[in-house]
Amino acid sequence: MGETNEESVNGQPQPAPEKKTRKRRSSAEKMAAMQKDISVGEFFHKNRHLLGFDSARKALLMTVKEAVDNSLDACEEAGILPDIWVNIVNTGSGRCRVAIQDNGPGIVKKQVPKIFGKLLYGSKFHRLRMSRGQQGIGISAAGMYGMLTTGKPVKVVSKTSKGRPAHYFEIQINTKLNTPEILNEDGNGIDIPNGEVGQAVLQDHEIEWEPVSHGTRVTIEMEAQYHRGRGSVDEYLEQTAIANPHAQIKYLPPDGREVFYHRASEVLPPEAEEIKPHPYGIELGTLIYMLKHSKSMQLTSFLSEAFSRVSPNVAKEIVTEANVRINANTKKIGREEADAIYQAIQRTKISAPNTDCISAIGEDQLLKGLHHVVPAEFYVAVTRPPAVYRGNPFQIEAALAYGGTPPVRKVSLDGLEEMLSETESRTLRQFLTTNFDGIGTSGANNIIEAAELKVRTSPSKMKPRERKRLHEAMQGINLSASQSCNVYRYANRVPLLFQPGACAVTQAVMQLNWRTYGLSQSRGSMPNGPITLMVHLASVWVPFTSESKEAIASYPEILKELRLALQGVGRKLGMYLRRRQKVKHQGERRQIFKRYLGEVAQAVHSLNGCDREDLFSQLLQVAKDQTAEADMQFDESGQVVEEPEMDLGENVLIVKSERDD
Amino acid sequence: MIKSQWLSTSSDKHEENLTLHLKENTVANESKKDPSAETEAEAKHRERDEKTNELLMSLADQLVKAAERKRNPTLEIPIRTQANVNYNKSRKIIELGKNKSQRQLFNLSQAKSFMQMILVASGCKKLIDQNKTTSIRGLYYMLKHTIEGTKEETFAKQSECDPMIEDVEVTLNALREELHVYAQSRGTMVGPITIVDSGDEIDCSRMGTGGYGIPSIVEDDIVQFKECDAKFVLHVEKDTVWRRFNEDKFWKEHNCILTHGSGQPPRGVRRLLCRLNSELNLPVYCLLDNDPWGYYIYSVIKQGSINLAYESQRMAIPEAKFIGLRARDFDRCGLSDSVKINLNDTDRRRAEQIKQYPWFSGKKRWIKEIDTLLANGFKLEVEALISLDVSYVTETYVPEILEAGPRQWLD
Repeated sequence: MGETNEESVNGQPQPAPEKKTRKRRSSAEKMAAMQKDISVGEFFHKNRHLLGFDSARKALLMTVKEAVDNSLDACEEAGILPDIWVNIVNTGSGRCRVAIQDNGPGIVKKQVPKIFGKLLYGSKFHRLRMSRGQQGIGISAAGMYGMLTTGKPVKVVSKTSKGRPAHYFEIQINTKLNTPEILNEDGNGIDIPNGEVGQAVLQDHEIEWEPVSHGTRVTIEMEAQYHRGRGSVDEYLEQTAIANPHAQIKYLPPDGREVFYHRASEVLPPEAEEIKPHPYGIELGTLIYMLKHSKSMQLTSFLSEAFSRVSPNVAKEIVTEANVRINANTKKIGREEADAIYQAIQRTKISAPNTDCISAIGEDQLLKGLHHVVPAEFYVAVTRPPAVYRGNPFQIEAALAYGGTPPVRKVSLDGLEEMLSETESRTLRQFLTTNFDGIGTSGANNIIEAAELKVRTSPSKMKPRERKRLHEAMQGINLSASQSCNVYRYANRVPLLFQPGACAVTQAVMQLNWRTYGLSQSRGSMPNGPITLMVHLASVWVPFTSESKEAIASYPEILKELRLALQGVGRKLGMYLRRRQKVKHQGERRQIFKRYLGEVAQAVHSLNGCDREDLFSQLLQVAKDQTAEADMQFDESGQVVEEPEMDLGENVLIVKSERDD
Repeated sequence: MIKSQWLSTSSDKHEENLTLHLKENTVANESKKDPSAETEAEAKHRERDEKTNELLMSLADQLVKAAERKRNPTLEIPIRTQANVNYNKSRKIIELGKNKSQRQLFNLSQAKSFMQMILVASGCKKLIDQNKTTSIRGLYYMLKHTIEGTKEETFAKQSECDPMIEDVEVTLNALREELHVYAQSRGTMVGPITIVDSGDEIDCSRMGTGGYGIPSIVEDDIVQFKECDAKFVLHVEKDTVWRRFNEDKFWKEHNCILTHGSGQPPRGVRRLLCRLNSELNLPVYCLLDNDPWGYYIYSVIKQGSINLAYESQRMAIPEAKFIGLRARDFDRCGLSDSVKINLNDTDRRRAEQIKQYPWFSGKKRWIKEIDTLLANGFKLEVEALISLDVSYVTETYVPEILEAGPRQWLD
């Protein structure tokens, strides 16, 4: 073992190195020979976790997510109500074949290979426009991952219109050059004509294709593991269905189920406008870049043309403020002058960017989506007016569902047994907390205790009788108090499933005092109760904390809007809960009266010999009238009498439960 | 002799007796004499029960009527607090005012007590129908049961039941004995008087050491005075003092009736004192502790209590006199410091309160007495006199005071 090795291994203070002329190991020239370009492909090849492909489980989700996001974007841009098919098949030995198809506009033949076989290629990066995808990495990265783990190419079928033939490609990505390679038919792909001929071609090549007049289907085989519960494809699709009530999703997971999310709304979201950047939102480097690449023109006209909300007058103001000649040419602006202009922009008052470019889901659609997927008794939605962070317009929406059956009670015995056999959790408690939303550790402990099982029992080694007991305990558990809140986070209608702790949405939810609205909450944590919260941030540029797009950065402006939106839904929930409490209270009063009426009737009967039953029923009627009267009094003090729903406003949906309080 | 012995033991038992007190004995005895003829007392008795029954029925009818009209059944109960009692200066008794509180069936905080009141009423009806009486604790057990379909008891404790009985009394303006309910008997009597209690003749001068236990109900249909040689009544505060007087045969020497009421005298004792005073014209002298509580016992005997203001008329003895102990007796009798009991804050507050009562505030000698007590800073029990001599109180103190005449007493 050499000296240097010891040093690094022990990490202890070493005696001063002996003064000895060391032999240089390498030279600048030699090293220069090693220095070369790193291709994007190679970079992501090695750093696939940056894109979310860090485990076999997550890879499956990321692939579905990227493909579905692209499909929804394409459909909306083309003005088509999206139909989406997601099909996952286990091909054995830890591999899955994932196929996603849409009824979108399709992709022209020439573009197909680049879109699926080249990283950082796409239409969305260079424009400021609200869309789900941003960088153009996702689907090609999924294809690369598949190729990497199974060696199989990405299979793409695309059809642009009824009359035209569909194209079929098998594409592989050359990671070194970041270029696509088409494998089938000498790099030309196959045309699939319409009609019976085409059917034959599909059968010959074993191509799967849902018959639509236009659309795209991508099939990737990869090393992946299907699972259910948190962070799964199931969860992602469910949440996608909430935020996209105009989409219809047909999902076939490998376990043989058929999950179908119906279209809850026939209205497409309004088309998002593309906008020019706002001066407040750019950085000095961007400004220099823009100046350098602009056509030769006067500085003032450059400013008013390249940016939104900069009129010639404002441009003049900026230039004067920066002490630069008004008619200076963009080509002659140096770094220092650019800096002066950048500083001047910050000092100049420029109106906020146009917010038309944001297409929010809308309160009505939010309610529809949430009601469609999350069974509950009370729903409320709030859409905030657009606001601006760093010159980027954004808009916050929040929706809340209260009550209903918690997921632990929904699962069937068969489903539970399947989950138990599939799970990787080592203990029963871990199994419960990771697979079911909103139960928390205490809820899991309660269930396990009720089932007379041990917390550390291994889920896979449970006996059939124990499984049955667990299922019964899960059905019988009352979680309403201990249940913790479920937060669904969305950015541009895409559900964010990971890193909740790092996300601005989670922070905003935890910072809000929910006790004001009748919920219990420990300081600085999620509120408790049977609540599903859905928060959506729509923006032309969503500030993610990382490339894998899992958490939203906490800009103060965003946090403020989040707080206001949450307060909006919280207030309505508070009103509803208080009203419900009153009704419940009245019910309890009635119960108390009822309890004594029998005694009173009996005693009066023995006093004057009146008919016991008659008196009892009469008194019961008075009790009802009296408690109803108390309701009225409550209403007179400011609450509307006849339709309690109405006073909550239009953004609220109340599902009458069948229970009679 | 045998009979009286039996009676005295039975009256001792009264205290804890929870079972129904059977009156059948008397009825049987009476009927043996003359089955067809109704005695005067019995006729009175029956008449009274009929009246009470009517009152109870009207209470029930009122409730049925309210239910038929879909109204909230409401009972009006006279308020029994100091705010609702007045001191009638001309009659010199405490009277109940006109303020009433409402108790509604459909009021969350009153529903249970409403039910309890109706239960008490039905219990009393049952007792009247069966011609039986019971103690208030007996009534509590009679009515206590679990409400159907719940785990709740009609009455959790006797302390829930007792105020309901009083509520029924004031609401119906019926007395406790009219409802066939009696309280624990806590008083004793001895002296040259012969009475008839439920048909049994009792010579109170031949009661041995125990004395005649004064029952809770002493109305003239139960207790009649047959013969009396006594000239006055000496009422002492408690049993220990009473025993001293009885042992020394004070009552024989001074020809008086000797009673005690175990502290605050119960209704039976007060009613009996009142009857002795009004029917036999015997003056009543009270020998009580020198402290605010002693003063108030005297006040209750003299003009009635706040809580039972509705019964003052037949219980108060406006002519009753307070003969001792006085605050000045410490110096006058030359008592030692060791018999002093220092006044505490509660005592002082109570003394100030008593001073404010209208039936005390107008009497200069009483104000002086209370002021002396407060200035002394200590209270004296009657037993303190024993420190001078065991029989000092019977042989010296009381005879001296009685000799000295009304000027030395407090009125």
